[in-house]
Amino acid sequence: MRPLPQPRPDTERLRLRDIRNTSTFRLTLLLGGVALVGVVMLTVLIYALSARELNARSDRILRAEAARLMAKPPRSLGREVEFAISHNASGLNFYGLLDPRGQRIAGNLRGSSGFTPGRAREIPERPGRHGPIRLLAERLPTGETLLIGRDITPLVDLRWRVTIVLMASAFAIALLIIGTAIALSLAPLRRVGVLQRTAQEIAAGHLEQRMPILGRGDELDLLAGTVNTMVDEVGRVIGQVKSVTDAIAHDLRTPLTRMRSHLDRARRQEDVNPATAGRLDLVIADLDAVLERFTALLRISEIEAGSRRAGFAEVSLTPLLASVVDLYQPLAEERGITFMLDTLSDATLFGDQSLLFEALSNLVDNAIKFAPEGGQVRLSVSRSETGLAIEVRDNGSGIAQEQRQSVLRRFDRGEASAQIPGSGLGLSVVVAIVHLHQFTLTLDDAAPGLIVRIAAPIQP
Amino acid sequence: MARILVIEDDTATAQEIVTELGAHGHETVHADNGDAGLEKATREPFDLITLDRMLPSIDGLTLVERLRERRIHVPVLMISALSDVDERIAGLRAGGDDYLTKPFASNEMAMRVEVLLRRQAQQPAEEAILRVGGIEIDLIRRKVKVDGESVRLLHMELRLLEFLARHAGDIVSRKIIFEKVWGYYFDPGANLINVHIARLRKKLDRPGKPSAIVTVKGEGYRLDAV
Repeated sequence: MRPLPQPRPDTERLRLRDIRNTSTFRLTLLLGGVALVGVVMLTVLIYALSARELNARSDRILRAEAARLMAKPPRSLGREVEFAISHNASGLNFYGLLDPRGQRIAGNLRGSSGFTPGRAREIPERPGRHGPIRLLAERLPTGETLLIGRDITPLVDLRWRVTIVLMASAFAIALLIIGTAIALSLAPLRRVGVLQRTAQEIAAGHLEQRMPILGRGDELDLLAGTVNTMVDEVGRVIGQVKSVTDAIAHDLRTPLTRMRSHLDRARRQEDVNPATAGRLDLVIADLDAVLERFTALLRISEIEAGSRRAGFAEVSLTPLLASVVDLYQPLAEERGITFMLDTLSDATLFGDQSLLFEALSNLVDNAIKFAPEGGQVRLSVSRSETGLAIEVRDNGSGIAQEQRQSVLRRFDRGEASAQIPGSGLGLSVVVAIVHLHQFTLTLDDAAPGLIVRIAAPIQP
Repeated sequence: MARILVIEDDTATAQEIVTELGAHGHETVHADNGDAGLEKATREPFDLITLDRMLPSIDGLTLVERLRERRIHVPVLMISALSDVDERIAGLRAGGDDYLTKPFASNEMAMRVEVLLRRQAQQPAEEAILRVGGIEIDLIRRKVKVDGESVRLLHMELRLLEFLARHAGDIVSRKIIFEKVWGYYFDPGANLINVHIARLRKKLDRPGKPSAIVTVKGEGYRLDAV
């Protein structure tokens, strides 16, 4: 099974990359981008039409003035031009009369090439001499050229202003679109984060967890509903399998116990011969192993039934852990293992003392089994912002990453335990106790060895 | 030989108890419901009662409460299919002296019966010093001597020795030892108790003398006077 990405705590800030990858962000950007392009195109069109109209208006004025001057006798045209300049009679500022060689005869415009007679064109600004000019050239029958120009500085200024306003608006709108996209993405992203964490908890075996549904009827609600239905069904099937297993264990335990009693009585007969006694011992040992598994299975069911929660109380950890050490110290010493306790004097948990003792005993028993001769086992308590953690650490061979989830399942024993006796139910009992307390159990690498950590969140 | 009343409605279980206790040389009387059991326990003298927790007519808890109300202080071993610690505590609070969950190994049941009978026999003498052979336990000063020589025992070792001494001569299983000495009801594995016994034995044994703590194969341990 592919591991799910690790969920982040609520306190961690959402990263820009997460936001950037959301479909809401991308969709908002796309729609915003289209709207922005539309607005720019519309503004450019309006500007282009307006500029064209203004140019056409200038051109009409230039043509009217050209027609007026061309109606004058050719010989007086020079004077008319000078008069028009000096009296500014038409409101136009630039005139020029050029001879056929392009030399100025009159006016304030010098000759220039590139004019198409009858068509107006724009002359860019020449600093210190003139601003931008709209210029019309007309060829006279005498071969001379009449130039009439109009200062179009206001029009060019308008063009710049429109361009700047357009660019600033486009930039502002783009920022607004990105801001909106981020704002719209945050809420779904947070919801997805909650769904992801819930999925992680369900995957870790908390089948009582359900995806939150906000009742909006949106796609996330639909998805959460579908997942919840799926988890209900998985829980129901697992429950059925467990009930069948428990029923088998329960029904077989009584006859097997009686069988053991009969064999035991037969074994204790004075006239039993040694060979038969030896065989009976083997059968009794096998029966004990079967009964031990059945007892553990029923114990897990009993713990999972949750009735013990009613008896929860404040449990002081230091005496509890010290009792575990007292109980296991001789076993550790027998194997030359250094058994250390590192606790916090004021640490308390809300739970069932007997069950917590059982869980810790189980973990310490495992740690002593798996630590090498002369190795180390450490039982410790630590406190963090999120709560208390009890750790049992050994320096044995540890459990491979890919087996750390499976060893928590019933009857599943890691590869390292092949040579060590056990039912494969000890850790399942611990898991049941941890779940009952709503704590979490994690297995980590102690490099070398294993760290089993029971994390108890701060009670609300 | 003790006279024991077996109050049990399940015929097979009753038969099992009667057979096992008979094999240990005890006389048994069977009652298959609460009313009959209460009547017999009230009218006749018994050394011990094994009492099923769930019975028709009167349940086990009520029955033991009524016995205690009538000042009948015969030891009661409660036997029940309810294995939860809370049930166990309820049974002991009602007046039961020990609690055994079904299904049970017959020899385990017989051991608990012997332990209760022994306790009953010893009850008047609440002595300050327990003596078993050369072992002397000063219960007030928490000191132990073996053949007059002081032996330093750790807290749990002393409790273990005290328990074995209080039931000297009886076989006690590892399960009973774990329950009575450590006060927990799960199975910690045979090896753990064996190691504790081995350590205690090492401190108590004297050269040239057999060990006072005897291992009874397949059953448990017994403290003998040596």
